[in-house]
Amino acid sequence: MGPRSMFQDKKTGAGKGIAGFLRGLPVIYLSLILLFFITLFFAVGNKSFLSPYNLKTIGNMTAILLTIGLGQLFVLLTGGIDLSVGGIVSLISIIYILGLKYFGFMGFILTIAVAVGLGFVNGVIFTRLRIPSFITTLGTGGIYGSIAYLLHAAPLAAPEETYKFLDIINGSTVKINHSWIIAAAVYLFCFVIQKYTYLGRTIYAVGSNEKMSWMSGINVRRTKVFAFMLSGMGAGMCGIILASNLYSGSAVFGALYILESIAVVVVGGTALTGGAGGVLNTLVGALIMSIIKNGMTVVGIDIYAQQTFLGILIILAVAVTFDRSKVIIVK
Amino acid sequence: MMDTGERNKPSRGRGKRTIFKEIGRGFQFVISHTTIGPLSVLALIYVIFTISTLGTFTSLENIQVIFSLSGLLAIMALGSSLVILIGAIDLSLEGVMAISSMICGLLLKNPINSADFGFLVLPIVMAIGAVIGFVNGVIITKVKIPSFMVTLGMGYATLGLAVIIGKGATIQILDNRLQTLANGDIIGIPYITLVAVALLVITMAIQRRTALGKYIFAIGGNETLAQMAGIRIDRVKIIVFTISGCLYGIGSFFLVSRLLASSTMISTGYLFPSITAAVVGGTALSGGIGGALNAFIGALVVTGVNNGMVLLNVNPYAVGAVNGILLIIAVALTIDRKKIGIIK
Amino acid sequence: MGMGNGPVIEMRRISKSFPGVRALDSVDFTVHGNEIVGLVGENGAGKSTLMKILIGLYRQDSGELVIRNETIDLLDPKTAVNLGVGMVFQEGSLLPNLTVAENLFLRHERSFRKNGFLSQKKMNEEAGRQLEKTGMKIDPGMFVRDIPAAERQMIEITRLLWLSRISGVDNPVLILDEPTTVLVSDEIERLFGIMRELKTDSSIIFISHRLEEVLEISDRIVIFKDGRNVEELKADGAEIHKVEQSMVGRELAEDHYKESEQKEPMENVCLEVRGLEKEGSFEPVSFKLKKGEILSLVGVLGSGKEEVCRCIAGISRADRGHIEVTGKRVKISTPKDAIKAGIGYIPIDRRDEGLALQMDVCSNITLVTLHSMISCGLINLGRERDEAMHWVRQLNIKTPSLKTQCMSLSGGNQQKIVLSKWLAGNVNVLLLDHPTRGIDVGAKEEIYKRIRVLAAEGLAIIVMSDTLEEDIGLSNRMIVMRDGRITREIYCPSDGKPKPVDIITYMV
Repeated sequence: MGPRSMFQDKKTGAGKGIAGFLRGLPVIYLSLILLFFITLFFAVGNKSFLSPYNLKTIGNMTAILLTIGLGQLFVLLTGGIDLSVGGIVSLISIIYILGLKYFGFMGFILTIAVAVGLGFVNGVIFTRLRIPSFITTLGTGGIYGSIAYLLHAAPLAAPEETYKFLDIINGSTVKINHSWIIAAAVYLFCFVIQKYTYLGRTIYAVGSNEKMSWMSGINVRRTKVFAFMLSGMGAGMCGIILASNLYSGSAVFGALYILESIAVVVVGGTALTGGAGGVLNTLVGALIMSIIKNGMTVVGIDIYAQQTFLGILIILAVAVTFDRSKVIIVK
Repeated sequence: MMDTGERNKPSRGRGKRTIFKEIGRGFQFVISHTTIGPLSVLALIYVIFTISTLGTFTSLENIQVIFSLSGLLAIMALGSSLVILIGAIDLSLEGVMAISSMICGLLLKNPINSADFGFLVLPIVMAIGAVIGFVNGVIITKVKIPSFMVTLGMGYATLGLAVIIGKGATIQILDNRLQTLANGDIIGIPYITLVAVALLVITMAIQRRTALGKYIFAIGGNETLAQMAGIRIDRVKIIVFTISGCLYGIGSFFLVSRLLASSTMISTGYLFPSITAAVVGGTALSGGIGGALNAFIGALVVTGVNNGMVLLNVNPYAVGAVNGILLIIAVALTIDRKKIGIIK
Repeated sequence: MGMGNGPVIEMRRISKSFPGVRALDSVDFTVHGNEIVGLVGENGAGKSTLMKILIGLYRQDSGELVIRNETIDLLDPKTAVNLGVGMVFQEGSLLPNLTVAENLFLRHERSFRKNGFLSQKKMNEEAGRQLEKTGMKIDPGMFVRDIPAAERQMIEITRLLWLSRISGVDNPVLILDEPTTVLVSDEIERLFGIMRELKTDSSIIFISHRLEEVLEISDRIVIFKDGRNVEELKADGAEIHKVEQSMVGRELAEDHYKESEQKEPMENVCLEVRGLEKEGSFEPVSFKLKKGEILSLVGVLGSGKEEVCRCIAGISRADRGHIEVTGKRVKISTPKDAIKAGIGYIPIDRRDEGLALQMDVCSNITLVTLHSMISCGLINLGRERDEAMHWVRQLNIKTPSLKTQCMSLSGGNQQKIVLSKWLAGNVNVLLLDHPTRGIDVGAKEEIYKRIRVLAAEGLAIIVMSDTLEEDIGLSNRMIVMRDGRITREIYCPSDGKPKPVDIITYMV
């Protein structure tokens, strides 16, 4: 490696002043800065923000958002999007309770398998029918939601015998919530995939330059299907944690989480255009989102009203991270 | 030195693929070049359901119901079609309807406040829808973010606003004139159908007889060429989103009239059918093909299917799944993949 | 009638540079009234760039643009058309899902309003009238997507003439960019007939690589080479051979392409192509490639050579014919098949098709060979680093670290990374599509050296270069293509390199 580098300063948008400095940084630093200021904002505005109880609540929320966000991450990295995560969360919450009821602990394994299977279906429809992912997952999300209703229209309260399983997740060891451990396990799993596996590498390649990936012999179709399977897994874990927390499963659980999952990934710095970002970004994003949600709830903003801010926040985040050099025509 | 080369047999094993491709291409041609394709789909649907419901489907009563229901869907599908024509998508439909209907609820005669704007509410919600559409268009064209993302975010944002305004409650409408509007008819044709037809005519006029209409098709057909030809892409897109927002507003007014109540949940379940109606009617997601008349036919198809399912006593929750499947199939059959290139 | 005195268009000392390349170097170019000017030159000689400046798509770096005796400062396509200068592009710019009439009058619909709405009838009638003037008898209500290429060109010409007319411009200037490429002979004759008629009240700039046609129809020929206007002559009495001579021929240093290191190919046939055909791109071609041989495919744009390579690489699908690698027949329908057969392809556009710009150097280099570094399902990052380092050293890739994003590196280094990706993948045949495009001189030299080394090690290489000189200099043997057919095979031994002028006859 030569001591000199023929280095063209092509960092997008690097320029003068603070704005230029900010734009030239790797996006993760931007997200961390955002996290810092958000925390500051809410901590200063509200005395009880830093109370142990509140921090625990934030931690729980982070665990939930992190799992679903990590799944969505891999789909976004390939340049697609998974809008069916809401349907998956709803359906899984019901299947989990039913699974625990009829199969005991095996129910857990079964549920994960179903979640991954739903993701697989998404991937197959997307790659075989070759219709844009937002339409595919829009459709399948509706289908999964309907199936949830068909299985159990009213919210399904968990029967007594399942409590011992549900409480595994709800419990804590040495003050650390088990749900955090599960989220951490999922994070670790996804980290390994991202950094150490062929799948992880090809996901980035396909997101960065799909044509070139195909020309280099990568099985693009397989990569995308796996990305959707990971998304199914993430949404599934989220549904499981939710069902455990609320001791019930319901077909309406998931609707709110579609936007959340996208927000977590995008606010953390992963671009919609794919090829850039990662698990660490998503972790920061999950933290930011849960702090914002917590802050809004403490101030008294209704859950649905929160979606308003969420929608605007996502548009802002996408505006900042969208890689316009990759897309000539924006439709 | 010139190598004449051997003539070999054409490579086999591609036969299966080519047949499938030909069918798909043929289907696409029929559906997009004329309205014959969607019309035949419509006829097929009606035949199937007439047979399976042993005639109930085509009873005069039922046909009236279908027309009345499809009128509303047609208005929504008109809006969706316009956006899909330029190659974009509008996922904010349900949110726009939610906030429009909340405003309706608050401004029409109701038990909560003393407002009684009557029919004046119609232009108000048209304006609201238009403004939201306008904002969508501006963000998409000026900030340059894909339409699905912007409208997704906007959809949730407006839904949230609707909840904030209405505090999540369901508001009863006490204005009886609306009841006549929604359920009444003139010489057998429901008022709403007349409105829908009127809007259809207007939209068709725009589509075929104005420069704007030509530009919409141009942009949907090939945006790069359209830009090279000097068409003001941004302006046309913003206008399209504004018009469709306005149409959603009109739709929500009629929805509120029919239910004589407004709530934030009122619009749930309208997004899929609206897009499906547009696509099934022949407006391909890739843009540049289809239009107002197609939206109408598509609305009849989708309403017919949903109505038929009700008559056949299909589980109401399964209906949602069926609509989802219909959407996927419709898009898969009509989308022009060569135009889009890499599908993400 | 013509313009009277003075040329209609005068371009003086026009220069234009793009990053890394000087496209136009102080070019003078004039167009007089009622004349057809033939514009010829190799790919990249500057013809398109000059025309794009003339119609306002590009802005010149320096020099003057004088249209109808008025010096024009800021030109854009719309103003250019108002001034009576328009171009018909090779790819066509009509909107496929609008009708002929709608395309003709695009953006000028105002004149057809009746009661606030457009009158389709009025548009079609007027369209019919305009089309007659250029001898066309098609239905203006037809959609452009249903109309064959030949007619589309005429429609575009009709539109340009109409636009000039309503701008009140005398003697419009039409630029036709390779119009005959998509036409068969009687359509060409028709086109020429119309051009001669149009000459009576307009001027035409005719760009083509088919020299016989240019000589047949033009009054005057302008020859471009390396961004300069090198010669102008009257078409009447001009000899093709002299035109060809002026088009090519450059001064180059001795051994610029490391010809001294050129070795004779080995005996074994590495790759054989038999009867490969792709409808619309190239007719049945057949050739052999030996181990250690460097074969160049030569031809102008549209000759089909790029498509042949892409079919061998599995990126495009041939309709007929087959490919044999070391004697075994292989079915290549996807790049994966080609890679399995040991064929690698370095694309012309490394940014679009060669690299994942957002990923780092290391990942890009190991992309094809990643499978071999996996143990127990996980990538052995250490092995990957070693492999990448090996190639960075081998090819002298200048990068601050293996983790640097590829988009930060220079063109030459990016190209080296693409090359190492395939070398790491252990290919036996390498297809190089314009390997030195947009690369500085120093890096070019390194690439030439590397190509020699690879050939000496037994790699079989097919190369398509930007210049004839590079093709001749690098290769052992050359295959010339024209209009989808192989026209000639020429040997290029290091002690007997042919001259570009000998080759160009078979290309044009």
